Amino acid sequence: MPIRFDASLAHFEGDCTVEEALPLNEWLLAETSPAVDLRRCTGLHTALLQLLLAARPALASGPEDPFLARWVAPLLEGPRG
Amino acid sequence: MSSLFEQFLVESRELVEAAGGGLLRLEKDVGDRDAVNEVFRAFHTLKGATGLFDWPPFTRLVHVAEDLLDAVRVGRTPATPELVDRLLAILDQCSRWIDAIETHEALPADADEQGRRLGAALSGTTGGTGEASAGRPAGFDWLDGTGVQDARPLTAVAYDPDPECFFNGDDPLALVRRIPELVWLRIEPAAPWPADLAGFDPYRCVLRFRALSAAGRADIAPLFRAAPDQVRFAAVPPAGQEPAPTPAASIAAAPPPESALAMAEAILREQRRALGMDADPAELDGRLASVARTAAGVLAALGRADEVQALATAAEAARAVGRPGPLANHLATLLATFGTSGAMPATAPAAEGRAVRRALRVEPERIDRLMALVGELVVAKNRLPFVVRETEDLSGGGTPARHLRDAYDAIDSLTDALQDAVLGLRMLPLAQVFQPLPRLVRDLAQRLGKRADLRVSGEGTEADKDVLAVLGEPLIHLVRNALDHGIETPEARRAAGKPETGTIRVEARQERDSVIVEVADDGAGIDTERVRRKAVANGAVDPARAAALSEEEALALVLLPGVSTAATVTDVSGRGVGMDAVRSAVESAGGRIGIASTPGAGTRVRLTLPLTMVITPIMVVAAGGALFGIPTGAVAEVARVPASEVRRVKHAESFVLRGAVVPLFRLHRLLELSAPAGRSGDGETVLVLRIDREPVGLAVDGVRERAEVVLKPLSGVLAGLRGYSGTAELGDGRLLPVINLRELL
Repeated sequence: MPIRFDASLAHFEGDCTVEEALPLNEWLLAETSPAVDLRRCTGLHTALLQLLLAARPALASGPEDPFLARWVAPLLEGPRG
Repeated sequence: MSSLFEQFLVESRELVEAAGGGLLRLEKDVGDRDAVNEVFRAFHTLKGATGLFDWPPFTRLVHVAEDLLDAVRVGRTPATPELVDRLLAILDQCSRWIDAIETHEALPADADEQGRRLGAALSGTTGGTGEASAGRPAGFDWLDGTGVQDARPLTAVAYDPDPECFFNGDDPLALVRRIPELVWLRIEPAAPWPADLAGFDPYRCVLRFRALSAAGRADIAPLFRAAPDQVRFAAVPPAGQEPAPTPAASIAAAPPPESALAMAEAILREQRRALGMDADPAELDGRLASVARTAAGVLAALGRADEVQALATAAEAARAVGRPGPLANHLATLLATFGTSGAMPATAPAAEGRAVRRALRVEPERIDRLMALVGELVVAKNRLPFVVRETEDLSGGGTPARHLRDAYDAIDSLTDALQDAVLGLRMLPLAQVFQPLPRLVRDLAQRLGKRADLRVSGEGTEADKDVLAVLGEPLIHLVRNALDHGIETPEARRAAGKPETGTIRVEARQERDSVIVEVADDGAGIDTERVRRKAVANGAVDPARAAALSEEEALALVLLPGVSTAATVTDVSGRGVGMDAVRSAVESAGGRIGIASTPGAGTRVRLTLPLTMVITPIMVVAAGGALFGIPTGAVAEVARVPASEVRRVKHAESFVLRGAVVPLFRLHRLLELSAPAGRSGDGETVLVLRIDREPVGLAVDGVRERAEVVLKPLSGVLAGLRGYSGTAELGDGRLLPVINLRELL
């Protein structure tokens, strides 16, 4: 299971594909203060990324994957611009 | 009108072709100023030509392209590969419109919409002159905000994924991640985020990507193979080396080329003639208005709109006096300005050359008819030697006989010369069939993520127009094959120690009575083991024979139906139909095909075709109520065989000819036609054929005449028919199927 929903914290693990988009969307809608853990995420489908960008959950832990850390994580940190 | 219209069709196609050629050169070298000028001139002339007719969307679209090219010409806008792409798309549209105009004399209903779409796409590449003049390629203004200072030249990538792309299995972020040597990346929403997540559709892609890479465009573009329309590239010069805009050579609008002037002149002349015709005074006003309107259109198209007022004044004067004189005089004055075209700048020599070549255009049908008549003339001439001999016998070699023989000799050599001349009329340069290849290679290489140079030589070699017609399709097949499964990907080529860009050579030359066209690539070559396996797998040969075949024979297997050289079926080729189709097309025209291939070094396919369609003497025979041609060369004699001498053993028939038993076939039966109705009692007309030494009898209902014909291969649905080698047109226009005896017996 690439995304493990643990109450208000979602753990993204491994290659997270487009199949996760609907569960993630529902989870984001249901949680009042969602947070995500991207530490062990190695692949993030565009559909998931845009959900995160639209909903802006807190970033509990940034990705270790160099590409995601360099180019994606900064978008999820800090206030939504 | 009609000749002007036809001139437009010919000329506009040439202009589209010229512009296309220039664009391909420009794409190879965006700094090629000659190419820019050539493309600009072509669009400019095309605009002038369309302006003479009433096709506003056509003129408008060409005008947009011309304006942009003018900006490129004077260095206000950089030439980019995207620009070339969009201009090529516009040329494609122009070709379709010209086709539509030829068929319907009007643009298709969606012309306006199509024109606006393409025009907008083109303007989108520049984003208006303000932006372009800032030194930024169109649509790349975001480059100013990257803060990237790199000493290397960079490639800017603007990727706007299709909102529906997730449904195609695309993952834009994963794609962007694979951009080599990524220097900078911005991910941003294409539109503001919705206020409420509840209304957000997670399956619609709303992101877009802006990236800078130190890799070259050619290394990045293949990643976006599936989405070429969603991505744009621009070259970014190294930091501190912003290109100074190229100084303008000349900003003045180019004068209209001579061809447009010639058309304009023809129109004005026609209008003046119309004024000179007797008109019902009641109709004069209408005619004056119509002529003035047309002439004003011509002036506007020539960029002489400032003279329209004077024209209107002349028309007004004519109306006032109730005679066409004042307007006619004004037109005459205008026409005189065309006469001074010596003062006009000379057009490019190439254009003049074309104009000379165009001097006489003849419908191919007329030449075919001429050819058929020459064929009959040869047959008629061939009866003369008998008359000469009879006369000699009668007159004992006297003066009349000698005169007759002299006359015959003269007619004989003249007929030969005439036949050569007519065959020469049908000769066209191979450039015609080579013309679509550069574009094919370019588009296909882009789609396949490969790099290939097309080198064409010998395009001036001439061959009969029917030979060219046969050659076109196979040539496209072969070049497509070479690129699709000959040339490897740049990575594979690098790994094999070859230059990343493959080379496809298309060479034509004449060798004695043949024209030879070779298509060679420096790709991977054909894996004969795989060909053997494939041929065995689909039953083309049995395993034992396949194993025993020499390399050369194994290569020839790819010419069999269902055997393909490709490892995988692609959408381009590799379904095992191509080479078989090439072979049958070439063979039906009396040609041969040969393949040579060296693993790792490439493949060479050679087509050998007759230079002219061969003139075949035939005998016209009747069978089963229809007429057929039989090549005279195979007929040893025509015999009358009494019905009583035909022996039957079961269904096999035979007869005795000078002591030898000769098998007898009946043509109507071989062709599965009904038997002739009334059988005459005095015997059979039998053609004694010699095909493989042994004589064979072929019973026909009758022999009609002899003719010399040009054999045309069967085409379309008939091409698969065995038993016929083609059709021939007789002098009276009848089409005659010609029997292929070897196949039939």
